[in-house]
Amino acid sequence: MVRLITHNLLACHAKGCTTNNFPLQFKDVSIELREAEFNADFLKGLLPRIEWKALVDAARQLGDTSLPLEQPEMVDDEFLKNLHHVLLEMHIEEGAMVCPNCSHVYAISNGIPNMLLSEHEIA
Amino acid sequence: MPAPTAVTATTISSDPQSYEDEHVHAVYDEIAPHFSSTRYKPWPIIARFISSIPAGWVGLDSGTGNGKYLPLPLDRPGEIWTVGMDRSRNLLSIARKAGEGDVVREVVWGDVLGNPWRNGSFDYTISIATIHHLATSARRKAAVQRLIQSVSPSHGRGLIYVWAIEQDGLSKRSIPSEGTEDDTQNPGQDVFVPWVLASQSPKAKPKARSKGNEDRLPEQNEISKPPGEAAEGEPQPKVFNRYYHMFAKGELAALLYEAAESLGLEVGPKPTDQITT
Repeated sequence: MVRLITHNLLACHAKGCTTNNFPLQFKDVSIELREAEFNADFLKGLLPRIEWKALVDAARQLGDTSLPLEQPEMVDDEFLKNLHHVLLEMHIEEGAMVCPNCSHVYAISNGIPNMLLSEHEIA
Repeated sequence: MPAPTAVTATTISSDPQSYEDEHVHAVYDEIAPHFSSTRYKPWPIIARFISSIPAGWVGLDSGTGNGKYLPLPLDRPGEIWTVGMDRSRNLLSIARKAGEGDVVREVVWGDVLGNPWRNGSFDYTISIATIHHLATSARRKAAVQRLIQSVSPSHGRGLIYVWAIEQDGLSKRSIPSEGTEDDTQNPGQDVFVPWVLASQSPKAKPKARSKGNEDRLPEQNEISKPPGEAAEGEPQPKVFNRYYHMFAKGELAALLYEAAESLGLEVGPKPTDQITT
């Protein structure tokens, strides 16, 4: 699956591609929304380690503008609900992710991203 | 000729990458549904490790197989999040639906030698019964390096499990005794472990397994029916040989130590294998 929680962790690992290789850019994606169980403890624990700008940009690219550009200092329920939806309920089913640096294309098929590189392509 | 279910010694006859393609990757893609039907129960040691992870942490299961660790811990659903990665696309399709209900898991098609993550982005990582499928010591070390790089340098935790030569009395496998296990340059032993694909029961239910074995020896009960017992007229079961490097005592600890050192990390007291017998 590619949800934004995973997208926030993925980086290009093609040979020599070590800077500006995150976040990958979505291309021609189709999205499905599926409800997921809300867990405030998970979200609060995760918050400090999210790459915030990458998450907000990716959400906006997918048409969701519910998250503020800066991570808020005070966390309220509405913010957590929006964060939950962005991280865990938007599933990218088909399409691709493209490296902003080297333009390598990682395809997404049936909800599974193909991050395989042949060995001569790996750094 | 050994019985089709016996573990046999082998040597890496081609370049390691194509060797693994033939004797690991292709096999798992072929046996995925049957393999998964026999791999439904988490080992308690790994379940305990995952239970110890605090709320809000995100982890990597490198070599997730059918994803049986992705739903854990069952008593705190959704408090932590484990992303599964595997080389077998067919196993990933199963892993995506791992666990009860229709919860969808996060899975990524990738190789343990690749590094498709922001460095240090995970809080924990597990790699269970995976690294022993790599065909050279250098490749196994590289896989350990990738695991170390994937977790946070400040608080990351990891758990690696591999198959050991030394087995306790519960093992049903007999391990060929010839080989290189005393060779300090090339410790461990390269073997084929057969998988017998029962051809007659596509919806075979997971069999009850004897308690106590589950802890240590994942690979012992997988053969649902010895081929010799196949009734006349039934199609013969197909046997697939999977490549394993069986680790000598101390070999995994040494590999971990080397991998950490080569990344410029300071290692505390020299680690030892945690062998729970």
